[in-house]
Amino acid sequence: MSSVTRTPGVPIDVTSLTKHFGSVVAVDDLSFSVAPGRVTGFLGPNGAGKTTTLRCLLGLVAPTSGDATIGGRTYLDTGTPMRVVGSALEASGFHPGRNARNHLRVLARMGGVDERRADETLALVGLTESARRTVGGFSLGMRQRLQLAAALLGDPGVLVLDEPANGLDPEGIAWLRAFLRHLASEGRTVLVSSHVLSEVEQTVDDVVIIAEGRLVRACPLSDLTDHGRRLVVRTPQADALVAAVRADAPSATFTTTDDGALEIGQVEAAVVGRAALRAQAELHELRPATSDLEQVFLALTSGASS
Amino acid sequence: MSADTLTPASTSAGPRPALVRAEFLKIVSTKMWIGLLVGVLIFVAIQVLATAFAPRTGDAANQLPPLTTDIGLRNLFGGVGQATVFALIIGALGITQEFRHQTITSTFLAAPHRSRVMVAKMLAHVLVGALYGVAAVVGGFAIAFAALAVKDHAPVDYTVVAQIGLGVVLAYALYAVLGVAVGTLVRNQIAALVGLIVWAVFVEALLILLLPKVGKWLPGGAVEGIKQVAGFNQNADYLAPLPASLLLIAWAVVFAAIASVTTLRRDVT
Repeated sequence: MSSVTRTPGVPIDVTSLTKHFGSVVAVDDLSFSVAPGRVTGFLGPNGAGKTTTLRCLLGLVAPTSGDATIGGRTYLDTGTPMRVVGSALEASGFHPGRNARNHLRVLARMGGVDERRADETLALVGLTESARRTVGGFSLGMRQRLQLAAALLGDPGVLVLDEPANGLDPEGIAWLRAFLRHLASEGRTVLVSSHVLSEVEQTVDDVVIIAEGRLVRACPLSDLTDHGRRLVVRTPQADALVAAVRADAPSATFTTTDDGALEIGQVEAAVVGRAALRAQAELHELRPATSDLEQVFLALTSGASS
Repeated sequence: MSADTLTPASTSAGPRPALVRAEFLKIVSTKMWIGLLVGVLIFVAIQVLATAFAPRTGDAANQLPPLTTDIGLRNLFGGVGQATVFALIIGALGITQEFRHQTITSTFLAAPHRSRVMVAKMLAHVLVGALYGVAAVVGGFAIAFAALAVKDHAPVDYTVVAQIGLGVVLAYALYAVLGVAVGTLVRNQIAALVGLIVWAVFVEALLILLLPKVGKWLPGGAVEGIKQVAGFNQNADYLAPLPASLLLIAWAVVFAAIASVTTLRRDVT
C-alpha cells in the first residue's frame, strides 16, 4: 500500500557529545543509546539541551566534540536521510501561505521520496480533509500532525520527534500515544522528547533524562518507578521504628516530611510493619507515597543542578 | 523522472533535478510570485508609456532623447528592463522566507547537503527570473509597438530590439539569483528587502548617473550594458553586452560564494 518500502529500525548512539554556544555549554559529554522497537522518552526541563542534542543528531548543528549517529552513520552519511530517519523538530516551521499537501510534496521532492507519499502520510495523520488548506489557518494540533506526516514521508525506521505532544488536546495525545506505540511495534526506533514526564509516561518504554546538558539517568521507565518507591509512616515512636527497620533493612532511607510524617525508601511495607510490631511502635499511617513520576523526574533533574 | 527509488548517496557535485523541482514548487506554491509578476508588468508599462509620451519641454539636455533617434528607441524598448528590482525581491524572499518561517530546518533535514540546496534554489530562481523577464519583454514591447504606431519615430532595427529583449530576460534571471545570494548572506527578511531596494533604486542608480566609471562595474551598470540603453545618461560608457553579462554572472557567483562559506556553515538552531 505504501509507495516506499520501510527501512529497518536501527539504534541511535550519542557518544561523549558536547556542544558549546560561545561560553554556554548546551550539551556536556552526553552519552546514551536508543534501541529499535521501543519508544524512548528524551526528557529534561526546558533548556536542558534536548533540542541541541537532537539538532546535532540530525546534522543541523555541528558538535563541538563527540558524535551522534543513526545505525552507526552520521545524518549526512545516511545518503537519503528521509528514508532512514524521520524527524519533527519544534522550531521547524511552515510557510503560512503554502497548503499542507504542497508542503509535503516539496519535502518529498527534496528527500528523493515519491510524491504520492504526501497524500499517504496526510491520511496516516488524519489530515486528508485539510490537504489543500494553507497551513496559516491550522491549529497547533494540526501543525503537529503535519510535522508527523513530514517525518513519515520516507517511511523511515527511525523517528525523532521533538515535543510532539505540545499543543495537542487530550484526544490528540491519546491518538499520538497509540500511534507511537504502533510505530515502535513495527520495529522502528522512536525517540520522543518532552519536558513533562507525565505527558509521555504512558507511552515510553525507556527514558533518557538530562539536565544542564548532562545525563541524569538512562533506564527502562519501570526502573524509574522503582526508584521512586517510598512509604509514608506516622508514628509517635519514630526513633524506635527507625532503629527496628534499620536492623532488618540496612539500605533503607529515612526522611522526615514537613508535616511530621516519616518517609522510608528502599524497603517493602511488610518489613516496616513487622519492625513496628517488634518495636511496639504505634502506627497511625502506613502507605505507599504517591508514586508520582513527575516528582521523581523533578527530583532527578533538580539534583543535577545542585 | 520520478525519484521514487532509493538512490544511493552520490558524490557528484552537479545540480540535482529533484532539488530544483522542489525549489520551483516552493516558489509557485505560494502566491507571492504572482503579486511580484503583476508588479513587474505595471512597472514596465508605466516606464514604457512614460518614455513614449514624456512631454518635451524645457532644456534639451534634461530631456530624454526623442523617438526619432536610435538612442530614443533604445530607451523605449530598454524600459522593459526597469523592473529588475522585482527579480531581486523574489530571489531574496526565496531564501529569507525560509529563515523567517523556519522552514530552513525541514529543508536541510530533507536535503542535508546545503550547497546543493543553494545551487538548486538559484537554478529555480533563474527560471522564475527569466519568466519575469519574458513577461516584461512581451508586455512592454507590446506597449512600445502600440506607442510607435501613434508617434513619429526612427526606423526600428529589429536586431537591436531582439538583443535588448534577450539581454533583459538574462538580466531578470541573474537578478533573481543575486537576490538569493544576498538574502542568504543577510538572512533577515526585512533587512534584505529594504537593503536591496534602497541599493537598486537609489544608491546604485545615483552611482551609475554620477560616477559612471564606477557605476558601469556595478550589477545595475552591467544591466545597462546588456541593454545598451543610455537613459538620461547620454554619455555613458557601459560595457558591451557580452562582458556585461559575464560581469553580472560574476556578481552573482561572488555573493553566492560568500554566502556558502558563511551562512551555510552556520548551525541551524
